[in-house]
Amino acid sequence: MYIYDDKIEKQPSVEIKLPEQEHSFNKHDLLKKSPLLKRILKARSFQFLVILPNLLVFYVIIIAGLIGTPVGNRNIAIVFIWILWWFLLIAIMVPFASRIWCTVCPLPFFGELFQRMALIMVRIGKTFNLRNKMFGFNLKWPKFLSNIWIQNIGFLTLCTFSAVLVTRPFVTSVVLGTMLLLGTLLAIVWRQRVFCSYVCPVSGFLSLYSMASTMELRSGDKDVCKKCKDKGCIRGNEDGWACPWFEYIGNMERNNYCGLCMECVKSCKNDNIALNVRPFASETKIKSLDESFKGFIMLALAMAYSVILLGTNGTVKDWANASESGLWGGFFIYAGILWSSALIIVPGVFYLFSYLSKRMSGVDSVTVREIFKGFSYILVPLGLLAWIAFSFPLMFINGSYIISVISDPLGWGWNLFGTADFKWQPLLPEYLGYVQLILLVVGLGYAISRGYFVSFRLYKTDKAALMGLIPMAGFALLVTMAFLIFFIG
Amino acid sequence: MKSKYIVLPLLITIFGSVVGFVSGGGSSKPIRRDIVVKARQYSYEPDRFEVNHGDTLHIRLVSLDVMHGFYLEGYDLDAEIPANLKTFKIRHPSEGFNWKDTSEIVIIANKRGKFRYRCSHTCGTMHPFMQGEMLVNPNILFNAGLGATVGFALGMLGMIYFRTKKSRT
Repeated sequence: MYIYDDKIEKQPSVEIKLPEQEHSFNKHDLLKKSPLLKRILKARSFQFLVILPNLLVFYVIIIAGLIGTPVGNRNIAIVFIWILWWFLLIAIMVPFASRIWCTVCPLPFFGELFQRMALIMVRIGKTFNLRNKMFGFNLKWPKFLSNIWIQNIGFLTLCTFSAVLVTRPFVTSVVLGTMLLLGTLLAIVWRQRVFCSYVCPVSGFLSLYSMASTMELRSGDKDVCKKCKDKGCIRGNEDGWACPWFEYIGNMERNNYCGLCMECVKSCKNDNIALNVRPFASETKIKSLDESFKGFIMLALAMAYSVILLGTNGTVKDWANASESGLWGGFFIYAGILWSSALIIVPGVFYLFSYLSKRMSGVDSVTVREIFKGFSYILVPLGLLAWIAFSFPLMFINGSYIISVISDPLGWGWNLFGTADFKWQPLLPEYLGYVQLILLVVGLGYAISRGYFVSFRLYKTDKAALMGLIPMAGFALLVTMAFLIFFIG
Repeated sequence: MKSKYIVLPLLITIFGSVVGFVSGGGSSKPIRRDIVVKARQYSYEPDRFEVNHGDTLHIRLVSLDVMHGFYLEGYDLDAEIPANLKTFKIRHPSEGFNWKDTSEIVIIANKRGKFRYRCSHTCGTMHPFMQGEMLVNPNILFNAGLGATVGFALGMLGMIYFRTKKSRT
């Protein structure tokens, strides 16, 4: 993440260190291929127009959760959020379009509206070092919180109560409403989108898994950025707001913290922004342990959900669903296992494999901690594909509820479009195992092949890289086998 | 990755799947199995049962609390189980909603693999996640899949080995 305010305040002509390119992949700039797309993204009204319908749906969903039927599969709040939205997010948006959800997300809408006091136009002025006039207290977010630990812990906390969250419309609405409120309040007090960057629990895993996405927003030519005096992308100008995500595209080499708001497409005076299509899992660099632990948390949660939600054991379901079963003792056992798995056991096992990797590579100059952090990248393709494999049954088994709740969103007996009586009908359930197997193997393949890049970066020679990769490939294989047992064993 | 080396993981994957398939064990002599499945919020008992390919299954369904469903994937079977009754309704989803009263389901386990049975009648908050598993041995998909996965991992490492061999020598 580029801490723009410190650097720009200290040195008006910014010296930009360009990132090292270690692996080159073929990329195709969609903005060059499609002038229409470029025109759409350059339009000032673009983001407002894509958020607006989403905001309306979001409003309906919150209301439905509060006043509609408490039966989850008959309430649009549950069916649209935890079946439709989740599947589209994890299986389509993240792998193919990076953080495109952040482009249309309604959560920061009111906060950003308050900061800008504008829906579409840009305000010229001065706010600390920016060339945009912004409202609110504009405080600096504390440096020690400038990481994704809050998102890690927040997401793990929410997921601990997942059995309640994904089945009770009221709870879903309260959580969404709280996030909307939080997004607004934080924007009033702190600069830019601190809620999205540091607090939003969804943003945390989007940031990690967007590294694997086949789409990226980047500088077209970094030399142009280096020579650029205007730097409207990060400081704002009359054409666009300063990047609300604190990113400077001139040295941006990862998708993690770019919310694809497209302001830089508008503000760049050099027309130097590219929206590239690239191969899957092109970014391989994990930069800090908070990102590594996001990978472990996501992996542990995918395993836990496979047991609790897709599994068959009634006792575990009762523990996770303690608010109904009353088994609070069991709930604390379950929560303890979940938290210790995510934060201690899985990372601990991975640390052992990292140690093995160091020993097998024969390279002493790299610490186990560096190996642990670097190789935690393999959890990105591995975890993302495991989550997609987990999510396929959610959609294909329960997707038919979408058809019925469209006609009766509150579960009040309406029949708006004549589909309210559409019966639950799983789609091709006996073939889902084949799909899951293929997805898991693809994840394993990317974990190993991209793991080699990581290994080479750590160990510097081909031989050491190959030897160091073997234990980590073993870890990836064990994880894949565990998911195979969950899904088809 | 150079394209010629991609053949290696593919070959080892196929080899692994064949090994997994063959080592999964053959079929034993079909027998009759009587199974009572008890449904309660939000699980079945047994939550998993194993049979062999060709076995004849006599399944009785009982609900211990509210009305539940029993949708057995792969076998075109759906049931509605009223609370505390010995009879229940069944239908074949491919034939629509022609429910028939019965006290026992008889099916021949003629498909191999894992088949989930799910509650098809909204029974409470966790209803969408109420399910059990019927395992018809040998589980070919799992055995072959596991072999293929191990083979694929080895093949990937082999591919990297050969791809980087030139720079090592």
